[in-house]
Amino acid sequence: MMRYFLRRLGHAFLLIFGVSILAFLFTTLAPGNYFDEMRLNPQIAPETVAALRAQYQLDRPLVVRYASWVNSLIHGEMGFSFAYNSPVAPLLLVRARNTLLLTVTATVLAWGIALPAGVWSAERVGRLPDRLISWGTAALLVIPDLALALGLLVLAVRTGWFPTGGMASVDFEDFSLLHKLRDLALHLALPILALVLSALPLLVRHVRAAVAEVLGAPFMLAAQGHGIPRRTLLYRYALPAAANPLISLFGFSIGALLSGSLLIEVVMSWPGLGPFLLEAILSRDLYVVIGGVLFSTVFLVTGNFLADMLLYWADPRIRTKSGAR
Amino acid sequence: MRLRRSVAKWLVVLGVLHGIVVCAGFFAPYDPAEQDRKSPYLPPMRVHVVDEEGHFHARPFVYAFRLRQGTFDQYEEDAARSYPLRFFVRGARYRLLGILPSRLHLFGAEDLRIYLLGTDAYGRDQLSRLVFGGQVSLLAGLLGAGITLSLGLCIGAVAGYYGGWRDDVLMRVAELFLALPWLYLLFAVRAFLPLTVRPLAAFFLIVAVIGEVGWARPARLVRAVVLSAKERDFVRAARGFGAKDVYLLRWHILPETGSVLLTQAAILVPQYVLAEMTLSFLGLGVPEPVPSWGNLLSSLQQYSVLVSYWWMYLPTLAMVPFFLGYLGLASSLQERGPAYKIERRSLGSLT
Amino acid sequence: MQTLIKVENLVKRYARRNPAGGQEELLALDGVSFEVLAGSTLAVVGESGSGKSTLALCLACLEEATSGSIWLEGKDICKVAEKERREMRPQIQMIFQDPANSLNPRWRTLEIVTEPLVLRGGISRDEMKKQVYALLGRVGLPAETAKRLPCELSGGQRQRLAIARVLALEPKVLILDEALSALDCSVQAQIANLLMELQGALGMTYVFITHDLGMAAHLADEIVVMNGGRIVERGRAEEVLREPREEITRRLVAAVPRLTRSPLAPIGR
Repeated sequence: MMRYFLRRLGHAFLLIFGVSILAFLFTTLAPGNYFDEMRLNPQIAPETVAALRAQYQLDRPLVVRYASWVNSLIHGEMGFSFAYNSPVAPLLLVRARNTLLLTVTATVLAWGIALPAGVWSAERVGRLPDRLISWGTAALLVIPDLALALGLLVLAVRTGWFPTGGMASVDFEDFSLLHKLRDLALHLALPILALVLSALPLLVRHVRAAVAEVLGAPFMLAAQGHGIPRRTLLYRYALPAAANPLISLFGFSIGALLSGSLLIEVVMSWPGLGPFLLEAILSRDLYVVIGGVLFSTVFLVTGNFLADMLLYWADPRIRTKSGAR
Repeated sequence: MRLRRSVAKWLVVLGVLHGIVVCAGFFAPYDPAEQDRKSPYLPPMRVHVVDEEGHFHARPFVYAFRLRQGTFDQYEEDAARSYPLRFFVRGARYRLLGILPSRLHLFGAEDLRIYLLGTDAYGRDQLSRLVFGGQVSLLAGLLGAGITLSLGLCIGAVAGYYGGWRDDVLMRVAELFLALPWLYLLFAVRAFLPLTVRPLAAFFLIVAVIGEVGWARPARLVRAVVLSAKERDFVRAARGFGAKDVYLLRWHILPETGSVLLTQAAILVPQYVLAEMTLSFLGLGVPEPVPSWGNLLSSLQQYSVLVSYWWMYLPTLAMVPFFLGYLGLASSLQERGPAYKIERRSLGSLT
Repeated sequence: MQTLIKVENLVKRYARRNPAGGQEELLALDGVSFEVLAGSTLAVVGESGSGKSTLALCLACLEEATSGSIWLEGKDICKVAEKERREMRPQIQMIFQDPANSLNPRWRTLEIVTEPLVLRGGISRDEMKKQVYALLGRVGLPAETAKRLPCELSGGQRQRLAIARVLALEPKVLILDEALSALDCSVQAQIANLLMELQGALGMTYVFITHDLGMAAHLADEIVVMNGGRIVERGRAEEVLREPREEITRRLVAAVPRLTRSPLAPIGR
């Protein structure tokens, strides 16, 4: 167990390390930076720009910059934001928290709906409920995420049921705790709905496919032949056997939800990583961009790490193989 | 290769849709960049067949809009004069397929510019922008998918066929690319390319960025196919006849990847159209005044547009058939065989 | 008769990764040596996992041996340069177990049989076509099968097709890797007879790899029995069958179905 755990952990760290290098490489290949725009401003002396460049070490070679960035990472800063004139990490942490709130809730909700719906559908392959679910997921699949988010927004604006942006009402601070929670839930509702609806169809389809495949497997037919009741068959036999691809799908779905949330945050002005990153890209605030990309990678890698651990728990084959040697 | 009927059906659907976009000049009544400053944010014109007095007209017609009394952005229909729709009319010049000069349009009206999907802030015809925007967005999707698949094919073939350290290195890099959420990756790559460039350059930039980001998944799929194909006996037999690597890849191994690539294409194209839309929507894509589906929607970022001009949302509905076509194609291709299965793990499986 | 193939101390190790990430080593061939006389048939018999299929792949130059040598007419095919090996390859051909797998399912019969000719080159298209039809006739396939896909042929026809294809190269050695195992009994007999007839007419040398000692005894002059990557017993076919010395051979003999009085009785035509 320990060995497998450590392998996956080491692997995760290697990936994050690799991504950070990749992000840094792109920065050097990129034409233009934050100070180039400043240079165009006649009110700022060229010497000032040069001094600022030197201060932020932009004139140093890549390796030195990477080393000093890693150093600042260790000190919990992750470099310096030119636009905000402050360390990157605290800025990102606030936004990352909001993004996490969104994606974690959406992940839980999407799976909470997809699992029973998929199993239910798989149990009735070809019958009316299954066909209805297939049509429903197909309908959701053909609506582009962007259109879905915008559509919900248009709907919200025209009905006035939900607040259409931000994370809290203006007078949030004055609310009682209960009222605060209600306000937060209302603001969460629309982005979450958009995220869940965009992630749901693929999840349902894959759950259905995985469970349906297991239900048709010879060992299931044999178990059925032994006269084991349908319910036991479904939940004690079929689900564990289908768990393997589903757990992998879980890791995959986190990536999809993160990408989805990036767009939905911008569209619905949710103060998460998405709008922050976009703003940083437009102003060439490069450490913020690197930090944002890295944060999202950490989320994803953590999700995949969790999936790997679940896989270990769910798949006896991995246990025996790594346990034996 | 024999096509199944369902595959052929979806190909026909997609062919028709793409045909409309390719012949945008004919189907769009106006030049997409042409402005009509006097009528910004004009709502969609309704096509009538029954006039105010209740008389039926065989030829459909529209009414012009006039400002409602006391407002400056509310329009109402002016029933004083009807403008019948004319078909196959001569109008703005365009070049069909970029070559054939023509002035023929599917429809139009005399003495009135008709806007079936309304106009935007500059009074540009949304319908024309939608059809012409499709050219940009779909081409970006197709070219991007082409780049991705060629990259994936080459990398997957090398990794799978030659194996060893090449396989190790390439698959590690692939994992790196798969480790990032694709939109973040797209952002990150786009972030470090020049922000303001000429439209054509911007277009190819976007295509290149979109195309290069996604190579990892097809590469892994191709690798898996190559890996199993090279162990098949007919490949061994051909090697026994004295065939070289290039011959084996060209004639025996790569044809096996055909169905995987085709399915991947059907999955990737809409994804990449969406990617282009997202980038353009956020202002990182093809710049105005070039129409693209993302640009078309970007005005919806303004709250006021969202509140007052609901028809700016209409173009999304027109995009649905394209996504439907590709989804249908992808799923009927998948029915053919185990061409595409969700990868066991999106990440990991270093072992 | 002179010796055509001489295998000396052949070793094949596979390194493979186990799913937990470690390396493990598999010794498939553990010092195998034997000789085959020109124009004769050697049967290599063993259970699955005994290394006989690895031996077949090494003999056909489709896998590189870890150490040891394979001499073909005085040349060590393990040691010659890649280019020369490619030229030698046509002399040693292989018939695989499952013809459904050894024929490209996308190609038509005509293309399949033409392939070795194209790869060898040197003759015109028309001549190739003529040769292909002659070969189809030689193995008893009707000319109209030329336009068919492998999936449209029966199992026996497919194996005939595989034989026709290698005959195009006029090989000296034919390695039959379980070439009859995937076929029905009656078809097995037909193909076996075809192979014997071809051997008589063309003077090819066969290395017949099988788990079926009965069929081995029927076809082969000499038998070697493999177990765990080693040759544990060798001898003339009838002797091995009649007086097996090793435990493993006795097991294999016991597995031979005895519908007739003796497995050596002629198989019905």
